[in-house]
Amino acid sequence: MAKLTKNDLEKIKAKRQDDGRDWIKVGMSTCGIAAGADKVYETFVEEVKKMKLDILVKKCGCQGMCYSEPLVEVRVKGMPEVIYGKVDKEGVMKILDKHVCAKTLVKDAIYELRTKR
Amino acid sequence: MDAQIVFIKDTNGKIDLTKDFCAAFLNLLRENALEDKVQAVRIADMGIYDQGLVMKFPRENIIYANVQEKDFKEIIDKTIKSGQIIEELLFKPEPKQLRIVLRNCGEIDPESIDEYIAVDGYLALAKAVNEYKPEQVIEELKKSGLRGRGGAGFPTWLKWKLTRETPEAQKYVICNADEGDPGAYMDRGVLEGDPHSVVEGLILSGYTIGASKGYFYVRAEYPLAVERVEKALKQAYDYGFLGKNIFGSSFNFDIDIRLGAGAFVCGEETALIASIEGRRGTPRPRPPYPSVKGLWNKPTAINNVETLANIPPIILKGGAWYATIGTEKSKGTKVFALTGKVKNSGLVEVPMGITLREIVFDIGGGMLSEKPIKAIQTGGPSGGVIPKEYLDTPVDYENLQKLGSIMGSGGMIVMDEDDCMVDIAKFYLGFCVDESCGKCVPCRLGGYQMLSILNKITESQGKVEDIDKLKRIALAMQKASLCALGQTAANPVVSTLKYFEEEYRDHIINKKCRSHKCKHLLNYNVIQDKCKRCRVCVVHCPVNAINGDKDKGYFVDPKICVRCGKCFEVCKFNAIAKE
Repeated sequence: MAKLTKNDLEKIKAKRQDDGRDWIKVGMSTCGIAAGADKVYETFVEEVKKMKLDILVKKCGCQGMCYSEPLVEVRVKGMPEVIYGKVDKEGVMKILDKHVCAKTLVKDAIYELRTKR
Repeated sequence: MDAQIVFIKDTNGKIDLTKDFCAAFLNLLRENALEDKVQAVRIADMGIYDQGLVMKFPRENIIYANVQEKDFKEIIDKTIKSGQIIEELLFKPEPKQLRIVLRNCGEIDPESIDEYIAVDGYLALAKAVNEYKPEQVIEELKKSGLRGRGGAGFPTWLKWKLTRETPEAQKYVICNADEGDPGAYMDRGVLEGDPHSVVEGLILSGYTIGASKGYFYVRAEYPLAVERVEKALKQAYDYGFLGKNIFGSSFNFDIDIRLGAGAFVCGEETALIASIEGRRGTPRPRPPYPSVKGLWNKPTAINNVETLANIPPIILKGGAWYATIGTEKSKGTKVFALTGKVKNSGLVEVPMGITLREIVFDIGGGMLSEKPIKAIQTGGPSGGVIPKEYLDTPVDYENLQKLGSIMGSGGMIVMDEDDCMVDIAKFYLGFCVDESCGKCVPCRLGGYQMLSILNKITESQGKVEDIDKLKRIALAMQKASLCALGQTAANPVVSTLKYFEEEYRDHIINKKCRSHKCKHLLNYNVIQDKCKRCRVCVVHCPVNAINGDKDKGYFVDPKICVRCGKCFEVCKFNAIAKE
């Protein structure tokens, strides 16, 4: 591949800019994986496909709150951005059914509220 | 659906847990016929502790704390119905954490270089290579006041300057990712969550020093980190951030990965160099320092993962910006791995100068159990314990050193009354004895001797003069060992002796361990008043040490008992005493 210049960086950045799509982000560092994040990620990918939802499933690193792994951050338009903690298979279904489809937050599962971005 | 959302957190310690505040609030909403318009969500955590019942209103972006049930009506009438703010309840939390090193961890996909570029990744490199001379980079670093995050706190700009000024055609840079302290995983968090920022930092250090080759020394125990760094390097090569003529300049740079085979001493820079050269990982005397004679006798700059991850933001935002954070002598932020008996264990990044109390209670959410805090261990096996009296000390390099501990790489272990300080000292010393390379005598023999004295003390064989002996050997190790491992191996013993000598004396003179940790100093007894004669302990005792019958009651024979604690565990009536 050709050498990139500073302008190319800007181009990649522009292309990657937030397109406003909804997403689900699963923390996939060792702390998360040890708590079962890989299963959670797989389940999300499978279920989103099965339910034909228009939402991205992404991976990310450690959020820092290792005590409540696996952590799942959800952004759905019109809803506050929240991070769900200690998510298991059942939690995945709850997040998809309630948060993503019915647009109501799941109780007793939120571990952090996003303020900025 | 545009229901207004109210977050409720009702799990704080101060709250009367017999009441269901959430249900009460919901009932009141229903009475006001608001249940369709307002969505009350009970949440598990939101980073505010010890403030009673907390409610957050995202629409107004306000937080009420210490809310009482009698306030509900006013909240519904004013805030929910008409958006008015009730000043008396208002709570404005100050963000305690500041994320510079962990800025992208948990935000971006660590395996995608594009996502890193989207958050201004590699922009610092482009800026430095095209606009800055290496001297200017050093100047920015000097302004920033960044000090090495590996433990010793050596000024990074000086290290780079010295390496740069050594006249030699070939120079090297190394990223030290051989993080081995028990209970510390900051570097792993960064490498797994944001490997590109470390790669960029390493390339920048290569550019500044005039090196054409860099090494990542990662411990093999971090397979995921290794995998992600490998991926990051490949992507960086594909985009031309590594290789020849980076960003169209004349700067060429390559990075290779070397895996550490699990020796703790290889985190020491001269041992690390030996290991990369393919020799046995043992340290050598300094000077000459690696900045003069390092890898293959060429000038080499070795930096810790966290130090390197700090470089790109400093270049982008300027050293002056970085210097506004932190204390007079310790600038910037530090990542700590907060573990032990604390509610929220995890990675925290805080500005220097924050107090230990804020870290444990405001960020960590307080103690795990009801037991009060006893001490905090920082700096791993090279550090020491800080007793609870010093919890309000601002955290920086100098203050921690004054207290007899060190900043270290950033392990922070919270301990409560259940932790025996002699046992803790024994654990850390045991770790260093295991990991001692054996090259120099003070470390090899001193560590072993100290450990056997500690073993004697915890096995009720200790003598009062042992305390002086421990202090003498510790001093010899600190003064005469070859490398930092030996020089600091005695620190856990020295610092526990400094603050908890009473506990050592208790072990030696009274043969008692007040934390009930040292099992040779423990006795299990049946409390006859509580005993229901159910015989569960008798059945479970592996050595048949519990004798007696239904009429006379049961007794533990201390001569047979092996202090396994099984009887204590199985008794349903708390009728076994541990003393």
